[in-house]
Formats: sequence, C-alpha cells, structure tokens
Amino acid sequence: MTEEVIAIGSTQNPVSGSNPQPAVKKKRSLPGTPDPEAEVIALSPKTLMATNRFLCEICGKGFQRDQNLQLHRRGHNLPWKLKQRSSKEVRKRVYVCPEKSCVHHHPSRALGDLTGIKKHFCRKHGEKKWKCEKCSKRYAVQSDWKAHSKTCGTREYKCDCGTIFSRRDSFITHRAFCDALAEETARVNAGSHMKNHAGHMNYQFSLGPNMGHHFSSIFKPISSNPQNIDPTTRGLSLWNMSQQPPQSQETICKNLQEMHQMGISVSSGGAIYSCTDPLVNPCSSNPHSPSTTYQLNWDFAKNLNSSNGAANDQLSCNSLPLSNINVKDMGNHQLSGSVSSLFSTQQQSHQQTSAANMSATALLQKAAQIGATTTDPSLLGNFGLKCTENPIQNPVTTGLGSDVLALNHLQMYPSMRHHIQNQENIREGETRDFLGVGIQSICHPSSINGWI
Amino acid sequence: MQGINRRHPQDSSITGLPSPDSGENSDGKWASRLLRECATAMSEKDSSKIHHLLWMLNELASPYGDCDQKLAFYFLQALFCKATDSGQRCYKTLISVAQKSHSFDSIRKLILKFQEVSPWTTFGHVASNGAILEALEGEKKLHIIDISNTLCTQWPTLLEALATRNDETPHLKLTVVVTTSIVESVMNEITPRMEKFARLMGVPFEFRVMSGLNFLGELTKDSLGVQEDEAIAVNCIGAFRRVDVEERRAFFQMIQSLRPKVVTVVEEEADLSSSRNDFIKCFDECLRFYTIYFDMLEQSFAPTSNERLMLERECSRSIVSVLACDDEIDHGDSERRERGNQWSDKLREAFIPVGYSDDVVDDIKALLKRYRTGWSLVLPAAGGDDLGINLTWKEEPVVWASVWKP
Repeated sequence: MTEEVIAIGSTQNPVSGSNPQPAVKKKRSLPGTPDPEAEVIALSPKTLMATNRFLCEICGKGFQRDQNLQLHRRGHNLPWKLKQRSSKEVRKRVYVCPEKSCVHHHPSRALGDLTGIKKHFCRKHGEKKWKCEKCSKRYAVQSDWKAHSKTCGTREYKCDCGTIFSRRDSFITHRAFCDALAEETARVNAGSHMKNHAGHMNYQFSLGPNMGHHFSSIFKPISSNPQNIDPTTRGLSLWNMSQQPPQSQETICKNLQEMHQMGISVSSGGAIYSCTDPLVNPCSSNPHSPSTTYQLNWDFAKNLNSSNGAANDQLSCNSLPLSNINVKDMGNHQLSGSVSSLFSTQQQSHQQTSAANMSATALLQKAAQIGATTTDPSLLGNFGLKCTENPIQNPVTTGLGSDVLALNHLQMYPSMRHHIQNQENIREGETRDFLGVGIQSICHPSSINGWI
Repeated sequence: MQGINRRHPQDSSITGLPSPDSGENSDGKWASRLLRECATAMSEKDSSKIHHLLWMLNELASPYGDCDQKLAFYFLQALFCKATDSGQRCYKTLISVAQKSHSFDSIRKLILKFQEVSPWTTFGHVASNGAILEALEGEKKLHIIDISNTLCTQWPTLLEALATRNDETPHLKLTVVVTTSIVESVMNEITPRMEKFARLMGVPFEFRVMSGLNFLGELTKDSLGVQEDEAIAVNCIGAFRRVDVEERRAFFQMIQSLRPKVVTVVEEEADLSSSRNDFIKCFDECLRFYTIYFDMLEQSFAPTSNERLMLERECSRSIVSVLACDDEIDHGDSERRERGNQWSDKLREAFIPVGYSDDVVDDIKALLKRYRTGWSLVLPAAGGDDLGINLTWKEEPVVWASVWKP
C-alpha cells in the first residue's frame, strides 16, 4: 500500500518489487522483513504521531491523507484534485522506527506501510492517551481504543471445564486453579501435530519468554475477531485441543485440518470449545452450583425450607455452644434442662412439607423419614452446626442409640457420609450409597442439587 | 426472614429485661442489643443476668437465619466461652473442625466464589499487584515474598501481566509463607498448579512454600533465602494482624532487613488491639466489624449459598479468639486487627509510604464496577499522612491497602 491513491480509470502500473499476482495469498511472515530493493524512509516521531494533518478549510475536519481530504472537499463543492500515480516506476517504500532501541529501527527490519509504522510507533513508544472506562485498559492509538470499547464487557471467556466468565480477571484466576489445566497431555499432542501443520504453525510449545505472547491468546474471549487467523489463534486451538482425552485426537486433528482449509475461525464456537473433558474433575461446571461434597447441603436445605414455614424450627437446632461443652458446667440446671427442651421434633414435620420444593434432595429426605424412627435432633443439630462433631460423643443425645442414627444418616445423605469418611469417623462399613451410584457422580455438582 | 417467634418463656418480669419482641425492637436489631447487654453483664459479673441473656440468645440464635440470628449465634459462642473460661478449648475444637471439613476442593471453590461475588479480597490484590508491577518495572529477577491469607489467588493475574505487558518477561521467584496447618495441606495442591500456570504463561518461575512456622513472628530473614541480585517485594495480605501485638514492630524491622523494593500491605479496618484490655470496647468493635461483614456476605451471595455459610463459620474462630482467648500462649496466630492509621504509625518507623499511581487507581475503580453496587473506593485525604486507600461497603471502610518502600 503506498501513500498515493491510484487515479480512477487508469490502469494499474505494477510496481516492481510488489507481488505481481494478487490472487495468490501471500504468506504472512515476520513483521518488518522488507524487500531489499525498497527505499527506506525514516520519518520523525512528530510526523508519525501526527494525525489528521490535512485539514478542510471549510469545516475544519482533519484527514490523515491528502487524498481523503480531496475527496471530502468534493462535498463542499470545492475544487479537488487527486494525485496521479507517477508514470515511472516507483520504488516501494519501507519505513523505519525512529526509536533507537526499537527492533524496527534498523532498515533490515523496516515496516512496509506508512499506517503500519505510525501505529507501531504510537502503540509501542507513544503515550497511551486513550483509556477504556470499563476495564481501564490504555491505548495509544484511538482506533485501537474504539475497537476495544465496542467489545469490552461483552465478551465471554470459557474455561476448558465448561465454566463461562464475563470477567477476564476471574477467568484467569479460575484457569490457574482449574483441574482442566492439563499441560502434560498438551505437550504430547502438540508434538505429534506439529508436523502436520508445519506450514501454518510457527508456534512452538517450548518455554521461552516469547511464549507469553502466544499464550495470552488463551485468554482471548470466545467471540474474538474472526479475521485473526494468525498463529496465535491456531495455537490456541492446538492448546485447547490438547485438553481432550487421547482417544478423540483423530477427530480433533481432522477438525483442525478442516478449519484450516475453510479458514474458519476457531472462535466460532466449534467443537473444540464446546467439548468438556469427561475425565476431568468437575471443578466448577456451574459457577452457581453449591458444593455437594459439603455435608451441610442437606442441613442447610432443611433449614432453608423450614424458614419458609413457621419460624419455630429455625430456633430448635441451634444449641451449638451449649451442646458442645458439658452443660453441667453452667451450674444452672434451668439452662441444661431447657437445652434439651430446645431440641424439638418439629423439624421432622417440616421436612415432610418442604420436600415438594426440592427434587433430588427431596427424595433423599423422604427416604430419611421412611428410614428413621425418631430423629435425634441434637444429632441433626450437630451435623448442621459443627460439621464434624462425632455424634456419638454428644452428651445430650436422646432417642435411639446414636450408632443406628449415625448409620441412617450415612445411608441417607451420601454427601454427608462422604464427608464423614474423610474424617475417618465411620462406625460401620456401610459404604453403599443410597442411590446405588458411585461417590464420584454423587459428588458431581449437578447431580444432587435441586435448589440453587 | 424474621426468625423471631413469640413463644419465649416470660421471665422478663422477674429480671427486668425486655423480651426481644417488645415494641422498641421493631427495627429488628435485637442481636446487637442483647449481645451488648450480655457483654456488659459479663464485665459486671452479674451472674444471673449473664445466664438469662445467654439463654435468650441461645433461643434466638441460628447460623441459618438472618444476619441478627447469625451474629447472635457466633457471638453467643464466644460469650459462652468467656463465661465458662473455655475459650482455648473451643478455639482448638474449631480449628480441628475446620481442618477436617476443608479439602482443597472446598477451599478453592470457596475462595474463588467469594472473589467472584465480592471485591473484599480482589481489591487488595489489584492494588498490590499494580504497585508491585510498577515498583519492579525493568527488573530481571523478581522475588516476591507472599505472606497472605488468600491462597495464591492473587498471582495468576500478576503472572499474566508479567507475560503480556513487558517486552521481556522477567524471572519470578515466589516464596509463600504459611502458618496454619489448614493452609499447609492446601499448598501441596496449589504448588503444581501455580507452576503449571506460570509455564503456560511463559514466565520463568520458581515457587517455594515456607511452612512449619508456629507463629508469623518466628519468621526470619535467613529462612527466606533472599539473594543479592533479586528485586524483592513483600506482599502482606491479612498478615500483620496474625503477628502477636507485642511483636509487630520487630516484624516490620525484619521485613525491612530483607531490603525490599516495595512492601504491599492489605488489612481489614477494625481496631481490636488497642482495646484488648477493655472487654466492652473490644466487644463493641468486634460486633461492629462483623455486623458489616455479615451484611456484606448476605448481600453478595445467593440466599442458599453454601460458600457464604462456610465463610461465616470461618469467622467463629476469629471471634472466639479475640473475645474469649485473652492472649494465651499456645494460641497460634493472633487475630487482633488494627486500623489503617494505626498500622501506618507503626510502619512509618521502618518504611516510607508510597501513594498508588493513577493507573492503579483506575484499575481498582474498574474492578469495583464489575461487582454489585454498595462498594466504593476512598482515596487518601489530601495532605494526610496515611497514603493508603480504603474499600468501603455501604460507606463503611472495611479494607485498607497501602504501599511502602524502605
């Protein structure tokens, strides 16, 4: 691209040194490797930073190029003249960066077009005057800032585990802790696929300082600009692809090849993005799903629903401090007596009524009612409040022997039982879970919760 | 969610105490009133009043109710321990409960969820990372000494920034200091993840965990292994309050001896140390702080959130420690917070305060915009001594962040 506009109607005069066959797609090489025959131009920083220096005398509007100003002047019915391309052959011009420390300062790394060198200089060495309101990211080039502002906040970032984020920072933090971060598989796959796509991939899986730039594309949002089929995007797909279990390598390799051939952007929501690795621990498949491995699910749900009913029940299992420590220490029998009386059996009736509000949890609770004869409220209270208090040691235990009750609870509430197993507090060997399913899937966040 | 019912045994005529659902209580803030009365009764050693109030609180308290009920529950626990002189034992029990109930998965989920819904911790992260990046700009070998309670969730964004912003990515060594055994086991899971992530980011990275300390006060310069050619940043998030009150000045001196280029400090705004010999004052301040905290949690999480419940439960140790544990020796970490200006006074003996740059302030403002309303940033008053900034929740300052250099 040269500064002069080709006059309308004239034939294009092929410039020596430029690509004679526009139909062939030029392989994109490292920026700043100019044609050795080209003329090297060194513009001053002032010139490079100047924008809109061609001003319309009527309305004052500024233009970056004289040609654009001329075309604008037509609108004011002013005389205009487009410069003609000179008839003799013009050497292609390349531009160097005036900044001495810059890699593009040397003529051998000059950039091929004026707009390019201008933007480069502003971006790298210029003052970042333009700032995004939403995320406070700074830009030196106004068009960059405009382009960013359009999409800022509208992007979505998707982790390999399937979770979607609207915020980049929480996405990054999640990514670092996510179990889907499987680099080892990535390395293996990267090695084998490199050979297939040697032509397009100048992306290497080695760990040099330049990798940061490539890998930052990992955090490119899903809806990134489809025109960016550059090595980083392809690298992104390769990296993501490598999250898949080995058996799907073939399909993915095919997908990749297809995409290259069709020039489809990886980010168009293709198969690679939507697959989640079934082998991966579901660290957080849904940012809103509460943990089911935490034994309190049941208890919390129970109390939540009881709070919808009469307020009575909320008050009944709350004697944590008193049940924990020997009540007799209080020296006031009124208190110890009332502690026991606090443990009413009203909880149970509420469990029954609230079952309709929940799905899987409701089933579990219903089973609880069928299974248990009397419920030891202090046991419930303890489970609810202390999480790990061994119910057997509870001095205020009433009702059935705590062994049986513990057993019932172990059977009925797999999530709780899972927790108790962790503490090695299991009294019996009853590890068969209620629904006849393995612990892993029970503890899968999406399988139990009826209430979110 | 009014959990107060009407079926209280009516002893009010005997003791002269009003029952909770009397007319004057229509604003619903019965918990703070009752709790304060109970604390007063304790300081006056009015035995029957203590018993009565404890009993009433027990009737009304619940960890599953509204904020009043929750506050009543957790503070009742501490008051009970104080009355029965069982604070130490209760604290130890709470520690062992927490150890058993937490796994890496649950803690990870907890803290990430908290950071998603509330800027309580991310505020300090963004401020500190910004200050660290600016202070260490151009350095080739970075060594960050991290003494925090946020389990390395601060570092992924810093790693990303190192990888993408600078032309040449420096080498980063990260030394993480942990004391409580809960965190030690979690660090075993975090280590490989941090290393992997840094590899992916393309940041040359070395990660070390320093555990085995009983108290933060035991930390020494030698054990940290700082080298001459490293540019050092010391990052302290919720760290200073864990140092024994008497040892704090010495701790700052130790940090100074590391010759850091920058020290980033983040603490919660509450004064639980200057009043530690005055039970009522301490109680009031503790209640004030946790009232705000619980309100913030309730507003930030979904009503059925398990994570919120866990966070509330995490407070119980702190509350028991401050109110019922009277600086006993084998206590583990202290929890006596101080306000920003108090920390500033002490820090100024060893360091010079540094203000946050406009860019970092903009980043923080942008961060707060991403959360629900209620949060804001308060910049230091012009001409004031304290250059730290405050995160406020409903106009109340809750977190203080500041930067220091030698």
